[in-house]
Amino acid sequence: MSRLFTLAAALFLILPSLALAQTTEGAEEEFDPAHEWELQTWVDLPLGLDINKAVAYVILGTVVTCVLGIVLMRVKFGREPTKRQAVGEMIYEVAQVQVAEQGLPTKAIGRWFPYVATLMIFIWVINMLGFIPLPLSDETVEIAGLDLPTLGIFAATSTLSVTLALALMTWIFTHVEGIRANGARGYFKSWIPEVPKAMLPLIVPLEILGQFMRLISLSVRLYANMLAGHMLILTFIGLIFLTHWAVFPFSVLMGTTFYLFEVVIVVSIQAYIFAALSAIYIGSAIEPEH
Amino acid sequence: MLSSFFFLAETTGDVADAGKAIALALGIGLGSLGAGIGIGNIFGSMIQAVARQPELRSELTGIQWLGFALTEAVVFYGLIGGLLAFVLI
Repeated sequence: MSRLFTLAAALFLILPSLALAQTTEGAEEEFDPAHEWELQTWVDLPLGLDINKAVAYVILGTVVTCVLGIVLMRVKFGREPTKRQAVGEMIYEVAQVQVAEQGLPTKAIGRWFPYVATLMIFIWVINMLGFIPLPLSDETVEIAGLDLPTLGIFAATSTLSVTLALALMTWIFTHVEGIRANGARGYFKSWIPEVPKAMLPLIVPLEILGQFMRLISLSVRLYANMLAGHMLILTFIGLIFLTHWAVFPFSVLMGTTFYLFEVVIVVSIQAYIFAALSAIYIGSAIEPEH
Repeated sequence: MLSSFFFLAETTGDVADAGKAIALALGIGLGSLGAGIGIGNIFGSMIQAVARQPELRSELTGIQWLGFALTEAVVFYGLIGGLLAFVLI
């Protein structure tokens, strides 16, 4: 039984690389991994609310997050905990102990726990969707006279707009919450560290710059991690088309290795980091150190 | 066929592109050098800490991954800077 499961798992993990190979096959003339990130408009809506690949992935991610939350958290309590309940409790515990309690002060946990926990699960889901081959892509393949979209792997978080929106949300909440907890005067005063007066003209601009650097580092960290992961996999599979068919075993092996590395480690770590840093930023605004 | 396998890029005389590519690779390479040392430090310290006080393991794990991700991100700042320079300039 376990051997069968291992075989099925291995097959499942090999499939994405095949799907990737298929994705690139259509464009073997001028294969360029960067083409994956050129978004074409699918549905044209006014006010720039167009729907493209990244938007479709975000919408799908939202739906999956809601379903995941309802399925895992709305469990009927019985005498014996079911598997669903165990998984739900595990996620809840990580969100509470590792994320919320590490950053947020005790009085703010009730208000901000839902936000950071949602952030963690949502980012995990979009990152994970990015590594499952889905028929959402700009390129089409003809099967039996029908133009069907090819299978492709693409994470919405590997576009800067998505991660910047998430980071902006945390950034705005940080300042709003800081002003509400300490008053505008007290909050902005807490930015100024206790140094000799002569140093102030040098330190204060740095502190203000630091607040904006948080925005950049929070968004670029997630964006670049996912971008680099997808680019590595695409490039290794693309080597087949760029060089020689003999590199096939090497590129599939390397592609699968990086795929496993991304799925097992990077996806979860990035979701955790984003939520934990959001909690730390919001917590440090509510209770400044001095 | 074999020669084209080993020498992927033929010299076309476009020195500016070559310079940008070398700069991109150097930037990422040096960036990952620093991040590699940093990540090694983090996991090394974690092993030492857990070997001395195994009961603190669960508390330290969260901090360890936080440090790992913060250090690892440094490479990607280099990567993004390099890519921006490569594509835009």
